[in-house]
Amino acid sequence: MVIDTHVHPALFKEICMDQERFQNRCDEMNFHLMNPTDLPTLKKQYALAELERVVLLPQDCSMDYGTAIISNEEIKQIVEMDPTFFIGFASVDPRNDNAAIILTDAFERLKLSGLKINTAKLKMYPNDERLMKLYEICDKYQKPIIFHAGVSLEANTISKFAHPMEFEEVANRFPKVKMCLAHFGWPWVNETAALLVKYENVFANTAMMYMDSPKDLFEKVFKQDLGKYWLDHNFADKVMFGSDSPRIRPVRSKRGLDALEMEESTRRKVYHDNAVRFLGLEE
Amino acid sequence: MIIKLKEVPICASNEFELIKITDSVRNFVEESGVKNGIIHVITEHTTTGITVNESLPCVEADLMDSLDRIFPDDYPYHHNHYLSSYGTIGGNAPGHLKSLVTGNHCVYPIVEGKIKLGGATDIYFAEYDGIKNRKYMLHIMGE
Repeated sequence: MVIDTHVHPALFKEICMDQERFQNRCDEMNFHLMNPTDLPTLKKQYALAELERVVLLPQDCSMDYGTAIISNEEIKQIVEMDPTFFIGFASVDPRNDNAAIILTDAFERLKLSGLKINTAKLKMYPNDERLMKLYEICDKYQKPIIFHAGVSLEANTISKFAHPMEFEEVANRFPKVKMCLAHFGWPWVNETAALLVKYENVFANTAMMYMDSPKDLFEKVFKQDLGKYWLDHNFADKVMFGSDSPRIRPVRSKRGLDALEMEESTRRKVYHDNAVRFLGLEE
Repeated sequence: MIIKLKEVPICASNEFELIKITDSVRNFVEESGVKNGIIHVITEHTTTGITVNESLPCVEADLMDSLDRIFPDDYPYHHNHYLSSYGTIGGNAPGHLKSLVTGNHCVYPIVEGKIKLGGATDIYFAEYDGIKNRKYMLHIMGE
C-alpha cells in the first residue's frame, strides 16, 4: 500500500460549493478547465494507485488575499469525512500577527498533523524570523513540516525563495523537526540530495511532474541528474511518494515510479515506510 | 418531427473500461414515443469513445488489449508536457488516440418504436482516461 504525501484538495467538490471562492482558488493555484470532483470518485481514483493514506495540504496567504486559499477548517472538514484515510496539514500566513495562535489552534483544536509552507508564494526566505516562531511550535508539538521546494507553477510565486539550499539553515537550527522538501526541489535536485545526505531530519517527496511523462521524468532525475545508485544507497530512507494531485493523478505518478528501477526494499520505503516515519504514524 | 435529448451520467470502475450501455439506449428509445426515426449516441468527452461490438468478454479484452498495443502508455507523446492552460501534465495522450479509433458516436434507426440493432450488437461507452464522472448524450429525431 502507498501513502501519498502531497495532495492539494483544491478541486474536492465538498469545499467548492462557493463558486467565487472556488474560482479565486483556481486562479491562485493555477488550476484551469477542471471541474470539482466528489469524494467517492476521488477515492476510486486513489484506489487505482493503491493509496491507503493521503496527506492534504492547505494554503494560507491570507495577508495577500484576505482569506486562505484552502483553509485549515476546510482541511479539517475533509479529514472528518474519513479520518482513517486523510491526514490534514495546517497552513498559516506568518505575516499575520496571530500566526502563532492560529497554528497552535490548528494543532490543538483541529488536530491537524503538520505544517505546510510555501515560501515561493509568501515571497519570504525560509529563515525569515516571522517563520521561526512557527518552526518552534512545530518543534514543541513534534509536528512535521512540508515545504514547497523548487520551482512553483502557481500564480504570484517567486521560486528563488524555495531554492532547496535556502532550507539548510532551518534544518540545522531545528534538528528535531522533520521537514520534507516537496517536489524534490526540482529542478535543483542535486541540492536536495545533498541536504538529504547531510541532515537526518530532511526528507523529500516525488511530487515533481513538470516535464515529459512520469516514467521519463523519474528516469531523468533518479538515473541521470542524480547518480544511478543514489536513491538505493544514499537516501532510500528519506524519499516519500507524493503525487502533487490534481496536477497529475496519483495512479499516473505511481506508474512512473513503478517503472523506475530500484531495490524492492527501497520501493517499499518510498511508497510507505518513510512516510510512516515522517508523519509519526508508527504504532 | 420530434427531437429528444437526454444526458446520461456514467462513471467507470477502472481506469480503462468498456461499459455496455445498450439497455440505456434501448429504454430511452422505447420511452420516447418516437415510432420511426434515428438515435445518436454521443460521448461528451475527448478521452472516451462510443463503439459497437459483440458482447463477449474475449472480444472486449481483445479490443482493449489491441488499443493498448497501438497506443502504449510509455510512448513519448507530444502531449506529455506541462499544459499551462490546465496547470497540469498532459498524461492522457493514449486516451485521446484511442478515442480517435473508436469515434465519439454511433447511429441507429428507430423502427416501430424500437432501436434496430443487429443480432450480435451491443453499444459501449469506452473509458480511456478514468476514473471520472462522465456523460453521454442520447439524441432522437423522428416522428
